[in-house]
Amino acid sequence: MSMVYINIFLAFIMSLMGLLMYRSHLMSSLLCLEGMMLSLFIMMTVAILNNHLTLASMAPIILLVFAACEAALGLSLLVMVSNTYGTDYVQNLNLLQC
Amino acid sequence: FTPLMLTAMFILLLPIIMSNTQLYKNSLYPHYVKTTISYAFIISMIPTMMFISSGQEAVISNWHWLSIQTLKLSLSFKMDYFSTIFIPVALFVTWSIMEFSMWYMHSDPYINRFFKYLLMFLITMMILVTANNLFQLFIGWEGVGIMSFLLIGWWYGRADANTAALQAILYNRIGDVGFIMAMAWFLTNSNAWDFQQIFITQHENLNIPLLGLLLAATGKSAQFGLHPWLPSAMEGPTPVSALLHSSTMVVAGVFLLIRFYPLMEQNKTMQTLTLCLGAITTLFTAICALTQNDIKKIVAFSTSSQLGLMIVTIGINQPYLAFLHICTHAFFKAMLFMCSGSIIHSLNDEQDIRKMGGLYKPMPFTTTSLIIGSLALTGMPFLTGFYSKDLIIETANTSYTNAWALLITLIATSLTAAYSTRIMFFVLLGQPRFNTLNLINENNTHLINSIKRLLIGSIFAGYLISYNIPPTTIPQMTMPYYLKLTALAVTIAGFILALELNLAAKNLKFMYPSSLFKFSNLLGYFPIVMHRLPSKMSLTMSQKSASMLLDMIWLENVFPKSISLFQMKMSTTVSNQKGLVKLYFLSFMITLALSLILLNSHE
Repeated sequence: MSMVYINIFLAFIMSLMGLLMYRSHLMSSLLCLEGMMLSLFIMMTVAILNNHLTLASMAPIILLVFAACEAALGLSLLVMVSNTYGTDYVQNLNLLQC
Repeated sequence: FTPLMLTAMFILLLPIIMSNTQLYKNSLYPHYVKTTISYAFIISMIPTMMFISSGQEAVISNWHWLSIQTLKLSLSFKMDYFSTIFIPVALFVTWSIMEFSMWYMHSDPYINRFFKYLLMFLITMMILVTANNLFQLFIGWEGVGIMSFLLIGWWYGRADANTAALQAILYNRIGDVGFIMAMAWFLTNSNAWDFQQIFITQHENLNIPLLGLLLAATGKSAQFGLHPWLPSAMEGPTPVSALLHSSTMVVAGVFLLIRFYPLMEQNKTMQTLTLCLGAITTLFTAICALTQNDIKKIVAFSTSSQLGLMIVTIGINQPYLAFLHICTHAFFKAMLFMCSGSIIHSLNDEQDIRKMGGLYKPMPFTTTSLIIGSLALTGMPFLTGFYSKDLIIETANTSYTNAWALLITLIATSLTAAYSTRIMFFVLLGQPRFNTLNLINENNTHLINSIKRLLIGSIFAGYLISYNIPPTTIPQMTMPYYLKLTALAVTIAGFILALELNLAAKNLKFMYPSSLFKFSNLLGYFPIVMHRLPSKMSLTMSQKSASMLLDMIWLENVFPKSISLFQMKMSTTVSNQKGLVKLYFLSFMITLALSLILLNSHE
């Protein structure tokens, strides 16, 4: 692997870490989710452009669309949580039932 | 000889059989019963005279009743020394009591039934006394128990009388267990219930049947463990108390032990047991008699005390002396009861001695007989009680026995004098403490005649009986002078002490009773404790063991509930799911890292 890919891959791993290990705010995991999407997009674009893989040129755009949908979903969940509890502290999410 | 005896006993049956006819309905029935008994008494004196002169005993076996495999039961009457002498005595006393109850129960509408019950009691007592085999004795035994129940609960509207009757039956039943155990032992070990066969064959270890008989005597004669029924039995009318619980029924237990004297002669353990039991009974009931306030209860306790003395006599291996004491005791105890009955009726049914007093002048005849009866009871020389009681104390002093039991018997003798003095002091002397509008009249011929007969009996019967009976065990003739005077000395000491205490405390303020007084007054707490505690404990124990232990614990709790409880507790301690999403993410990441490190195989 060349240096570029490793770099971006490392960025992805960092965001993954951030998604899984956050302190108190749900928002920070959503942000890291965006970061993962971002690094994935960059890696995909760079790989396709470097290898002249023009057939898959629309893949990054589709990835962006899906990332946007999922961000919207995440934000709506956040809003629901915030409606119930007032804040988005994850300590509040301790009810095991709907 | 034998036909006369049978005639005497058959005569007694006549009024019962006539009870369905016209004779029962009219008011002369009590007279018929009384004259019947007097005729039976006179007729039974003839065989007694024949027995005294010739010393010939007889056994009448009439009718082969049934044979159960190898046991032959027949209707057999044994006329030996004991029964021949006891029957006239019992008939004489019963005759006087019947006459007395004609006066006492005069206003009772069911007087005919009362006399019928008394007669049935007498018949069953006769059956008991003349029985030659254990089965017939058992019939008589149960019969007197049943009649005692019916007669104690005569005034059945009164709750105390009903509980007293039930108490009598229950305590007697416990004694009957011992009796049946003895019967069963005799049946299995000597295949006979006849006395002759039992006494001839030699047994090696007689402890079990003798224990059973001792238990039976404890129940029937109100010895220490089974004694509360006798004071409670005073709820019955006074003639009942006089007949049953002074002369005849309560001696049934002692009579049983006397009947078995050949077996008891050999067994030292049994003798020691009877001695100690009798001594405890005597002392305990004499202590309880000291502070009672009901005149009939004091006399009832004195009965139990004398019964204890009889059992002590059996314990020192003197059955003949015990029998003599039975006969003499019947006279003066019945007379004491009749005097108290006359006092009670004259004072308009007042039984509390604290409310009697100064009856010395209004009732001279009753006073005389009360004093003579009490003196005879305490063993005044040359009255009736002397011939038996003094002999007993002398024999006990000079025999090789338990010194503690002897000491206790002596103390009880002095207490006898003490409570007799107390009765006389409260009832007869001093200023009257009763209501002033009672007409005190003892002018009725029935009353006077009956008490007069028993009075003459109390004075002379001891002499007459002692000098006319066939020779039996010889009493001890030589002893140191202080031993001979012991009974007299302790009795006089008791008299003087009681008199001084009563005179000294007469006008003092009534103080709060000491604990010793409470012990004595409440019968030593025995009925209070024993009536409630064992029954409650056994019932709760059985309830707990039956329902709690078996059903609820073993069937319910051991397997089902314990398993579920265990699982719940375990799961709450082991599982730590809190629902926090951070932990889920953390575990995801750790798993991922671990799998990447561990499965690094492509390098």
